[in-house]
Amino acid sequence: MTESAKSADGTEGAEGAENGAGTAERPFPDLLSDCVHCGFCLPTCPTYVLWGEEMDSPRGRIHLMGQAEDEGVFTDASVGHFDNCLGCLACVTACPSGVAYDALIETTRARVEEEHERPRAERLIRSAIFSLFPYRRRLGLMRGPLRAYQASGLAKPLRSSGVLERVSPSVAAMERMAPPIKGKVPALPERVPAAGRRRAVVGMLTGCVQGAFFPQVNTATARVLASEGCEVVIPKGQGCCGALSSHSGRAEEAARFAEETVRTFEKAGVESVVVNSAGCGGTMKHYGRVLREAGRPDDLVRRAEALSAKVVDFSEYLAELGPRAERHPLPVKAAYHDACHLSHGQGVTAEPRDLLRSIPDLEVADLPNPEICCGSAGVYNLLNPEPAAELGTRKADDVASTKASLLVAGNPGCSLQIAATMRERGEEIAVAHTAQVLDASIRGLPPSALV
Amino acid sequence: MRERAIRDRSDESPHDRSTTDPAGAAHGRADRADRLSALVPRLKRICGGDGVITDASRRRTYESDGLTYHAEVPGVVVLPTTAEQVAEVLGLCAAEGVPFVPRGAGTGLSAGALPRTDGVLVTTSRMRRVIEVDPDNECAVVQPGVANLDITRAAAPYGYYYAPDPSSQQVCSVGGNIAENSGGAHCLKYGFTVNHVLGLQIATPQGGLVRLGGKAPEAPGYDLIGAFIGSEGTLGIATEATVRLVRTPQKVTTLLAAFTGMDAGGEAVSSVVAEGVLPAAVEMMDALSIEAAEAAVACDYPEGAGAVLIVELDGPAADVDADAAMVRRLCERAGAFEIREASGAAERARIWKGRKSAFAAVGRISPAYIVQDGVVPRTALGEVLGDIARLSAESGIRVANVFHAGDGNLHPLVLFDDAEPGAGERAAEVSGAILDLCIRHGGSITGEHGVGVDKACSMPRMFTPQDLETMDLFRRAFDPAGVANPEKLLPTPRLCGEVPGVRKDVHPLVAEGRAEQF
Amino acid sequence: MSGEDQQARVEADGAVGALAASGVPVRPGADRDAVGGVVPRWVAEPADADGCAAVAAAAARDGLALVPRGAGTKIGWGAPLRRCDVVLDVSALNRVDHAAGDLVVEAGAGTPVEDLADVLGASGQRLPVDPVVPGSTVGGVVATGLSGPGRMLYGPVRDLILGMTVVRADGVAASSGGRVVKNVAGYDLGKLHAGALGTLGIITSVTFRLRPVPPAAHTVSARADDPARARELVASVQRSHTAPTAIEVDRPAAGAVTVHVLLEGPKDGIRARADEVSSLLPGSSVSEDLPEGWGELPGGPGDTLLKLTSPPARLPAVLDALAEAAPDAGPLPVRGSAGSGVLFSALPSATDPVNAVRAVASLRARVEEATGGHGSLTVLDAPRPVHDAGLDPWGTVPGLPLMRSIKKNLDPDGVLSPGRFAGGI
Repeated sequence: MTESAKSADGTEGAEGAENGAGTAERPFPDLLSDCVHCGFCLPTCPTYVLWGEEMDSPRGRIHLMGQAEDEGVFTDASVGHFDNCLGCLACVTACPSGVAYDALIETTRARVEEEHERPRAERLIRSAIFSLFPYRRRLGLMRGPLRAYQASGLAKPLRSSGVLERVSPSVAAMERMAPPIKGKVPALPERVPAAGRRRAVVGMLTGCVQGAFFPQVNTATARVLASEGCEVVIPKGQGCCGALSSHSGRAEEAARFAEETVRTFEKAGVESVVVNSAGCGGTMKHYGRVLREAGRPDDLVRRAEALSAKVVDFSEYLAELGPRAERHPLPVKAAYHDACHLSHGQGVTAEPRDLLRSIPDLEVADLPNPEICCGSAGVYNLLNPEPAAELGTRKADDVASTKASLLVAGNPGCSLQIAATMRERGEEIAVAHTAQVLDASIRGLPPSALV
Repeated sequence: MRERAIRDRSDESPHDRSTTDPAGAAHGRADRADRLSALVPRLKRICGGDGVITDASRRRTYESDGLTYHAEVPGVVVLPTTAEQVAEVLGLCAAEGVPFVPRGAGTGLSAGALPRTDGVLVTTSRMRRVIEVDPDNECAVVQPGVANLDITRAAAPYGYYYAPDPSSQQVCSVGGNIAENSGGAHCLKYGFTVNHVLGLQIATPQGGLVRLGGKAPEAPGYDLIGAFIGSEGTLGIATEATVRLVRTPQKVTTLLAAFTGMDAGGEAVSSVVAEGVLPAAVEMMDALSIEAAEAAVACDYPEGAGAVLIVELDGPAADVDADAAMVRRLCERAGAFEIREASGAAERARIWKGRKSAFAAVGRISPAYIVQDGVVPRTALGEVLGDIARLSAESGIRVANVFHAGDGNLHPLVLFDDAEPGAGERAAEVSGAILDLCIRHGGSITGEHGVGVDKACSMPRMFTPQDLETMDLFRRAFDPAGVANPEKLLPTPRLCGEVPGVRKDVHPLVAEGRAEQF
Repeated sequence: MSGEDQQARVEADGAVGALAASGVPVRPGADRDAVGGVVPRWVAEPADADGCAAVAAAAARDGLALVPRGAGTKIGWGAPLRRCDVVLDVSALNRVDHAAGDLVVEAGAGTPVEDLADVLGASGQRLPVDPVVPGSTVGGVVATGLSGPGRMLYGPVRDLILGMTVVRADGVAASSGGRVVKNVAGYDLGKLHAGALGTLGIITSVTFRLRPVPPAAHTVSARADDPARARELVASVQRSHTAPTAIEVDRPAAGAVTVHVLLEGPKDGIRARADEVSSLLPGSSVSEDLPEGWGELPGGPGDTLLKLTSPPARLPAVLDALAEAAPDAGPLPVRGSAGSGVLFSALPSATDPVNAVRAVASLRARVEEATGGHGSLTVLDAPRPVHDAGLDPWGTVPGLPLMRSIKKNLDPDGVLSPGRFAGGI
C-alpha cells in the first residue's frame, strides 16, 4: 500500500507517516518554516501533558531549533528540552501542516551530539547504554546474570533500599525495567518453510532487544508467517537496525548499523522485510535519510531506499496478505496499546486491531488517551527516568481502567515499561505481542498460554 | 508564515508610550527592567521555582501565540497552578505597576496573548483539571487551562457535551475561549462561549478573586460574566469556569452538496434559511480551497465542484430526518449536481475532513498565506464574494474562500509567496480591503478570532470615538492602573497613530487622564 | 395644557433652562408618572435617540436624576429611587428594521414587544422572548432582563442581543456589538445593560438575533404529587433526546405541582417527540395549545414579586422552602423554568410588611443553604411599605465592588435611576 493511498482511507496516522519520507531533499530551515505555530501538537506531546511548558512541547522545541539555527549555538537549556523529547512522533500525527518533526528532531539530536559538550556523568551513562543495547550478543550475555539476580530474591530489598536511585536514577531504571527472564528459547533456523502452498518469501528482522529478551516473540512471528503461507528467511548475523542510535542523535553509529542491515537483507533476496518491533520498522522505513544525514554516498542511499520500500510491520503485512490459517477462539479481554513508532511513526493503527478482532471470542479494549506515549521510547526511560516513570504511571492507569487481563502491543519496550509499572503497583497484567496472540489462536492454545 | 513584526520595547523611549499604559509611561527602560528582575524572587515565592521562567531562550518560545506575525519576548513567564497564585501574581503586578498578559494554550489568531518585554506573561497551561462533571445540573466545573475538547471527553460518559467547538478545540483552553468568546462551526445553532458559561471565578487586575454566578443561572447584579467573556484578557484572568453541558443529540446528519459555482451554493443557503430550517452548521468552500484540501488530505469531494456546501443537522431523529429531506430538496432546486448524506461518525468525519483541514491545507498550494476573519450580513455574501474575486483579479493575489455560510463569517485565505519581494505587502493590502468590504456591508472586523493587537487599529473603522471611549471607561472600571493586557482590543496612539475624531465635551475620567479619548 | 402653560411651569422651576435647551418636549410630572411612589418633576418625551441624548446631556449639566421609561409596566422594579427628577419617555423610539434574510432585527427601545412580534411574524420569524409582562416594550424587557419559559432552549433575553445603542449619563450616544449574528469586536456592553434597570445608560435601540417560527408546537403536561417527584419528571425529560424548548413547573397557592413540557419543531417529528415525553410523564396530557398562564408571573397587583434561582437538581428544596416561607400566608404560588432553574413567586399583598421582610430574609437564607450557595433570591418588585419596612431586595451580590466601579465610570454623578440597583447603585 502506498502512503498516499493510506491517507485517503482516512486513518489519522497515515498523514503523519508520509511526512518523514520525501522531505529529505529540503533544507533544515525550510522544514522548520513549515510550522505555523498553531499548537495542535501540544495536547499529544507527553512532556507537555506532564509539565505544561511551551519549551517542552513540539511547537516550543521547533522554536528552540529555530533559535539555535539563528544563533548558531545550542544553549544548555535548549539541549535539555531536546533531550526531554521522547521522539514518540504523536505531534507528527497531530500536525495539520505536515511538519516533519521526526526529521527535525533527529537532525537536531545529531547536531547536539556533534556540537554540544555534555557533562561527564551524562556522557558515561550514554556511552554505557550504547555499548550494550544495540548488541544482541552483549545483551544475551546479560540473560544469565539477570535471571540469577531475579531468582535470588535480592531485587526487593535492593529496590526498597533506594541505593540504586542514589547512585544513578538511570541505573535504577534499568534494574526496574529489566524483563523477567524465562528459560532458554531455541534459536530460530535461517529459513522457516511455508505451511501449505507458498504465498510469499519474506525476510524477518530479529532485532537486538527483541532477539535477546523476547525471543519468544520472534518465534511466534515466524510461526504465524509460516502458517499463513510465507517462507520466512531469517538471515544469520543480522544485528541492530540502528533505530536506538538514530533516535538519540548518534548519526554515524546509526548509519553503520543501517548499512550492515541493508547488506544483510539485500543478500537474502526477499520480497518484503517483516519487522515486529515498531521502533525498528519506523527507522528502517527511512533508511535513506539515515544514510544521507551521515554523508554516505548516493548509491548506498539509493540501495537503502530500495530496502526501505520493502519494510513492513508484521501487522501491516498480515492485514495486506489476508488470513488463510484458521483462528481458534481465545476468550480473553485484551487492551491494545498503540506503540508510538507504529501508530505515529508508521501510521499503523487499524491493522493490529483488525487482526486481533478477527480472533473469535477475543475482546479488544481501546485505551483512553491512545495517542500519548507510555514513556518507554527506546532508551528514554533509561536516560530520563523521572518523566518516563510518570508517563508509565499514567499509561498504567489507563490500562487498568479497561479491566483487561492481557496487554497487547507491537513493541517490546512498551510492554516492558507498562508491565513493570503495573507490577510495582501490585497490578500484574500479562503482556503479549500481537504475533503471540495470533500464534496462540492459530495453534488453538488456551488463554492460559497468554495470561 | 508571514514576515514577523518583532518588537523590542527596550529600544523605545518612554515618551513613545501611550497613556493607556501608565505603567510603562511612568518609568524608563532601565527602570522597567529593574522592576521586573526585582519581581522575580517574589514571583517564585508565589508560583514556586519551577513556575517562573526567566531563561532567555525559554522565554523566547513564548514570544507569539497562534499569530506569529506579531512577536515580543516576555519579560518573565509564570505558570501558576491555583487561582490564588494567579490573583497574587496580578496583585503584585498592580502594586508594582507592571503589565501582565494572560495566555492559555497560545492558539489565538489575533495576537491577543502577545507578551510584553516589560511585563509578566501569566500562563494557565498548568491549571487543567476538570474539577467536576455534574450531569444532574447539566454543568461542569473546570480550571482555565483545560482544553475545550476535554470537557466533552469528560462529559461524554453521561451523554452530554460542551457545545462551543472552535476549530482548535482539542488544543485551545477554556480560559482562552472565555477571553475570546469563541464560537465554532456549530455556533449558528448553539451560540458562543458566552451562552454556555454559568459561573466564573476571576482574578481581577487589582489582585482580587471574585466568584460570579455558579451552577444556577442569572445571578443578581450586573451581568459581569457576559461582559467579561470576550474581553480578551483586559479585565483579568478567569481562574475557574462553570460551563453548561448540552445533551448529546439523538441524531446528527451531515449533508455535502456540490455545486458548479458559488452563486448556486449561496442560493441554497438562502432558501434553507427562508424555509425556517436551523442547521447546526452551514459551511462553504470555493474551488481553490477544495483544491488545497484535496492536495492535503485527499478528501475526495465531488469532481468539478466549484463550491461545496456542508450542512449539518442535529436533534431528535424525526426532526433531523425531516430537515435533511428539506435541505436535500432545496439544494437540488438550487442546482446541486451531487449530494452526499452521512449519519455515522466515520462517514461524517470524511465529509468534514476537507473543511477542517482547509486552513492548514492551503500551505500545500501556497508558500504563505494570511487568514482573514470578517463578517457580513448573510444576505450580502454573494455580493461580497464577487467583490473579493474582483480584488483578487486586480491584484493578482489569489484568495481561497472558506466560510461559515450560515452566519456570514468569512475566512478568506489570502495566498502569496513570501520569497517574492512585495508580495507580502500586496497580500496584506488585499486582506485589509476585504475587511473594508465587511465594514461597508454593515458587518464586523472579526467574527471569532478577536481584536487583540492585530485588529486594534481597525476598531475605529467599526466604532465611533464615543463607542470606543465608552468601552475604555468600562475597561478602566476593572483595571484602573492599565496593567491588564495593555494595548490589546482598543486602539492606542502608539500602535495606530492619532485616531481622527473631534470631541467637544470631555469625560471626567478622560480629563483626569484615567481613560483614553479616541 | 397649552404650550404657553407648559413653558410657564418650566420657567417657574429651577431646572428650567437646561431641559428646555434640549429642544425636546418636556412636561411636568403627574401622579400617573410616579415611579415607586415618587412623582418626577419633569417628563421628557423625545422623538428620537438624538432627543434622548439631548435630554440626558441637559439633565447632566444640572445634575438631575434621570429615569428612562418605556410602557412603564415594570417602572417600580428594584429598590426605591433616591431621586427622580426627570422621567425620560422613550415610547416614540419605535422604529423596527427587520433584515429577514439575515434573521436579525433592530428595534427602538420604545417598540412594544407585541408590535415587534407582528412585524417578525409576517416573515415567519420571531424573537424567542416570552411576553412575561403584557404591554412591555423592547427597552423594558431588556432593562429588566426578564425572560420566560423559552430561556431554557433559547437562553435568556441577553443571549439574543447582538448590538445595542445607549445614551450615557453625560448624553453621549455609544454603540457596542453590531448587526451581524457573529461578532467579537470590542466589549459586549449590551450584556451589561441587560438587567441593569437603566442604571448604566438609556437604551435607545437593540439588535437581536431571531429564530424561525417553528412549524408545530405541542405541550405535554402532568401533575406531580410532590416537589421531589416533579424533579424526577423534569430530569427524565432532560435526559431524553426530545430537545424540549421549555420545562416549566407551576404550583398555584395551595395547589399541586404541574410540569409542562413545550416541544417545538418540524410537523413530521412533533407527534413522536410528544409521545416520548408523554411516556415519561405518567398520566400526562398532550395539547397543541399553551397551558393557561404560560410564562406569566405568579401573584397579582401589590404582591411582593420574587425571583429565585437554583441549580436545577435543587428544585425540590426550593419548592419546599416556598411552601413554608410565609406561615400566615400559606404556600406561595410558584411558576418558572424547572429546566434552567429560575422560578418566580409572590408574597400576597395582604402580608404584613414586617412579616414580608422577615419572610424574604428567611427564604433567602434557606435557598442559599439548600443550593450550596449557588442559588439566589431577589425581590423584583415590592409595595413601598414593604421597602420601608427594611426590605433588602438584592441579598449578597458577589462582584459588587466591580459593579460600583462600572457605575462610577459610566455615571460618575450617579444620575441614572439612582438607588434602584444592588448595593444602592
